[in-house]
Amino acid sequence: MTARLIIGALFMVGLWALVAKRNLVKKVFGLTILNSAAVLLFIAEAGASGGGAPIMGGGQRIVDPIPQALMLTAIVIGVCVTALALGMAYRLYKATGSMDIEEIRKRLGNG
Amino acid sequence: MSARAPSAQVLTAALCIAAASFALWPLANFDGPWPEGIRDYLEARGQDESGARNLVSAIYLGYRGYDTLGETIVLLVAVSGAIGMIGAAGSKLTPGYADAAQGQSPVAGTARRAHRRTELIDVVTGKLGPVVLVFGLYVMLFGHVSPGGGFQGGVVVASGIVFLGMGSKGAGLSPLVGAVTLARIEAAGFLALLLAAGLGIVSGAGFFAPPLRGASPVGYIVALNAVIGLKVGAGIGFLCIAMLGEAER
Repeated sequence: MTARLIIGALFMVGLWALVAKRNLVKKVFGLTILNSAAVLLFIAEAGASGGGAPIMGGGQRIVDPIPQALMLTAIVIGVCVTALALGMAYRLYKATGSMDIEEIRKRLGNG
Repeated sequence: MSARAPSAQVLTAALCIAAASFALWPLANFDGPWPEGIRDYLEARGQDESGARNLVSAIYLGYRGYDTLGETIVLLVAVSGAIGMIGAAGSKLTPGYADAAQGQSPVAGTARRAHRRTELIDVVTGKLGPVVLVFGLYVMLFGHVSPGGGFQGGVVVASGIVFLGMGSKGAGLSPLVGAVTLARIEAAGFLALLLAAGLGIVSGAGFFAPPLRGASPVGYIVALNAVIGLKVGAGIGFLCIAMLGEAER
């Protein structure tokens, strides 16, 4: 349960960065932290099913490999989302000269 | 922004967190057993059916090949989209990753820090790059028997490419760091993945199945790992190099 609470706190940190920060790059950081929290939750939950790495021949009772394979996908998708978000942030910076979301809104609104 | 006092905002946030904690407490306190049927099946049969001792590789290259194909397509689309968006902005980032032309800070109210590059970074990353590339190839090619695999090895290869790109200072670039080379490797990797997936159809084994029946399926897993690793390494390396500002368009 401690792991769940810590992961929940990590999730809240990511959500806070995503919602409350004005800098676009920090918002992208928040998105990455959210993604990491979700990945950690799956890995920590599956850890209850065994102690060894999911590689045969180790002698130990192996952990369930399904969540690990799923999280492999989730990490790759997270990298893709981060890359696209950074690309958009770069375009907004080039278009408005600012990374501040309020400033961007103001400058885009005024033409 | 609302004109409320900060204390009201803090109070609202605290109330929201308290409500969320109350709603999510049963989840955090959940104590049910982990469903172990599939785990036991994979432990008993996974290595024989897919040939890979690493059961994670067995899943994403053996049992769920479609999923991996879709994943690589997502990566391809993300790389193309990000490159397109950066490229269409009409200018390339300055080598040395500082936007020297812009004097003002990107965020209002914060001081702009000077970006500095030292000789240390150039020397260390340039020398470390090939070593990291070799390690990436190892992780990629031994993904079926040890921790690792195509995606993990590909990311290590990409960081090796980034090291080479950072170490070369924009002059005397290794051809591996060139944007055109990386884009070609990425495209060729995707084509090879499609071919490897389709070979099974020709031989009658089925889509994403080892084409040679009777032979051990390990070779197929290794080949898929290598192809995916090259594709992921080239794609993410290309993305990072483009964001560093070394890409020639």
